[in-house]
Amino acid sequence: MGLVWRITRLNFRAVLEYRAEFMLKVAVGAAWQISVVVFATVLLTRFPGMGGWATSDVLLLASMRLLSHGLYVLLLGRVTWTHIVVQLGQIDAFMLRPMPVYRQVQLAFFNVNAVGDLLVAASLFVGAVLVVDVDWTPARIAYLVVALVGGVLAEGAIGTALGSAALHAPATAYWSMWLDELMTAFGNYPLHILPGLVRDAFTFVLPLAFVAYLPAAVLTGHLETLAVPGWLAVASPLIGLLAYLASRLLWKRSLRAYKGYGGT
Amino acid sequence: MDAIIARDLTKTFHTIARRPGFVGGLKSLVAPARIAKTAVDGVSFSVREGELLALLGPNGAGKSTTIKMLTGILVPTSGEVRVAGLEPHRDRERNARTIGAVFGQRTQLWWDLPARDSLAILRDIFDVEAEEYRRRLAEFDDLLGLSEFWDSRIRHLSLGQRVRCDLAAALIHDPKIVFLDEPTIGMDVVVKEQVREFLRHQVEQRGRTVVLTTHDMTEVNRLAERIVLINHGRLFFDGSLTELRRQFGATWQVHVTLADAPADVAVPGLRVLRRDGPRVAFGPGDGATSTHEALRLIIERYAITDLAIEENDLEDVMREAYLHREQMTA
Repeated sequence: MGLVWRITRLNFRAVLEYRAEFMLKVAVGAAWQISVVVFATVLLTRFPGMGGWATSDVLLLASMRLLSHGLYVLLLGRVTWTHIVVQLGQIDAFMLRPMPVYRQVQLAFFNVNAVGDLLVAASLFVGAVLVVDVDWTPARIAYLVVALVGGVLAEGAIGTALGSAALHAPATAYWSMWLDELMTAFGNYPLHILPGLVRDAFTFVLPLAFVAYLPAAVLTGHLETLAVPGWLAVASPLIGLLAYLASRLLWKRSLRAYKGYGGT
Repeated sequence: MDAIIARDLTKTFHTIARRPGFVGGLKSLVAPARIAKTAVDGVSFSVREGELLALLGPNGAGKSTTIKMLTGILVPTSGEVRVAGLEPHRDRERNARTIGAVFGQRTQLWWDLPARDSLAILRDIFDVEAEEYRRRLAEFDDLLGLSEFWDSRIRHLSLGQRVRCDLAAALIHDPKIVFLDEPTIGMDVVVKEQVREFLRHQVEQRGRTVVLTTHDMTEVNRLAERIVLINHGRLFFDGSLTELRRQFGATWQVHVTLADAPADVAVPGLRVLRRDGPRVAFGPGDGATSTHEALRLIIERYAITDLAIEENDLEDVMREAYLHREQMTA
C-alpha cells in the first residue's frame, strides 16, 4: 500500500508541474459534472415526483451515482485507458515487473479529471444527504458507505471488462465512451420510469441499476417501485463486488492471451 | 550451466485473412477466414551463464517474439522455455526479479516523471536495499553519465539519454539475465560506444547473461561471443562469428582490371563474381582460401593493370546468410 501511495504521490506531483493543463483538466471534470447536475435539476423541477420519487430522493440517487463515479475515476478509472497503455507498449514493460499488471495500469498516471468530478459530486452528495427525508441511523449510514463502495466496484467491473477487451482490440475505447455517456444519461434517475426492456437491460446486462438506483431505493424506502426483489436491491453492494471480481478474472484470462504490440 | 533453455519454442498468432478490394473487405467482415501465422517455429537453443548471445535476423524474423516468450510477456503456443530454472509465463513475477529487459524503441519508465524518480519507484517495486541502490546508481552513473540528465522528465530526454536510463532501470535490481532488444537503435556513435562498453562491463565484470538483438553489425562484431540466426521464425545458425564467416558466402573479393579483355575469364580455384568489360571481381572458389593465394593464381594467368582487395564485412556475411536461408525456404 505504501508503494501505491508513493507512486500516486509522484504521479500527482508530475501533473502539478503542468499548472495550466492541471487547472484545465480539473475544470473540465467539474464542468462535465455541473452540466449533468444542471440537466438533472431542470428535469426534476419540470417533472417533480419522478416515477413516484420525491425530488430529494432523486437528488440522493443522482449524488450517489456521481460520487461513485468520481471515486471510480480516481481509484479504478485508468483501466479504461488500457488501449493507450497497449499501444504505447507499456503492458510489455508492466509484465517485466514483480507487480500485478492491473495495479500498474491503475498507477500509470494520475487522472486529474477525477478531482473536478469529485469536487462537484461531493458537494452535491452532502447537500442531498442533508435535504433527503431519511432517518440517518448508524445502520443506514453504514449501508450508504457500503453502497458507494459497491457503486465504485460495479462501475469498475464495466471498466475492467472493457479494459480486458482493449488488451486485444483498441477499438473498445469507443465502447467505453459510449457506455460512459449512457451511464451519465440514465444512471442519475429512477430506472423504473424507463420501458421494461431498457430497465432490465440496465439491471441484468449493464449493471447500472446496482451503482446507485437500487441502493438509493433501499435508503429512501422505494422498494415497492422496483422490478426486482427487495433482497436483490439490498444486496446491490455485494452484486457490485461480485461483478468486479468476475471482471478481474476476465482481465486475468485476457492478459494470458495477450499478443503483444509491435514487431515479431 | 545454462541460464536460458528454449526447446521447440513455437508461437502462432491467429489473424483474419484480408481479401482484396471493397467487396473482399465486406466478405471478410461477414465470413472471416482465419489464418494461423507462425512467428516462431520450433526454435531451440540455450545460453550459458555469463554468455553474451546475439539473436539476429532480418525484420519480421521472429526475434522480438522469441524475446517476449523468454521474458514471459507472451505465452508460447508450444515448446518449453526455462529462464534461470523458471517458466517465465507461468511464474511471471518471480521471473521478473531474475531478469532485466530493455526494448530500445519503447521506454519502461514513467513518461512524466524525472528519471531518478522512476528509478526510485523501481527500487521500491524490486525491494532493493537503500545502500545497495545507492551503490548501483553510482556505478551506472559512472558508466553511463546519468547524473547529467536524471533530474529531467523522461519525455524531455533524447533517445540516447532515455535508453541509458532504461538500461539503468533494467539492471537496478541486479538481474542475472538481461534481454536487450535493439538497445542502441537511433543512437549517435559516441553514445553507442558508451552503451557497448557498459554491456561489456556487465558481462565481463558482473557475469550477467545477455541476449541481444540488433541490426548493428559493429555491435555484433564487438560484443557477441555467439550468434543465433533466425528467419521466418526458424533457427538456421547457432555458432561463433568465425563459423558464421566460414559458412556463409565469400569472405573477400579481388577486383582486377585485365590488360587484355578475353571473351572468357576463368581462374581454377576462384569464382568470377562479376564482370564488366576488363574489370573482373573474383571470389573464393574450390581452391584458394586467401587473397594472397588468389592474387598469385590471377597473375599467373592474366596481365593486370589495376588491383583492389576487399574483405567482406559482417553485413555482407549476414546478407549472404539471410539470402541463403530465403533460398532454402523457397
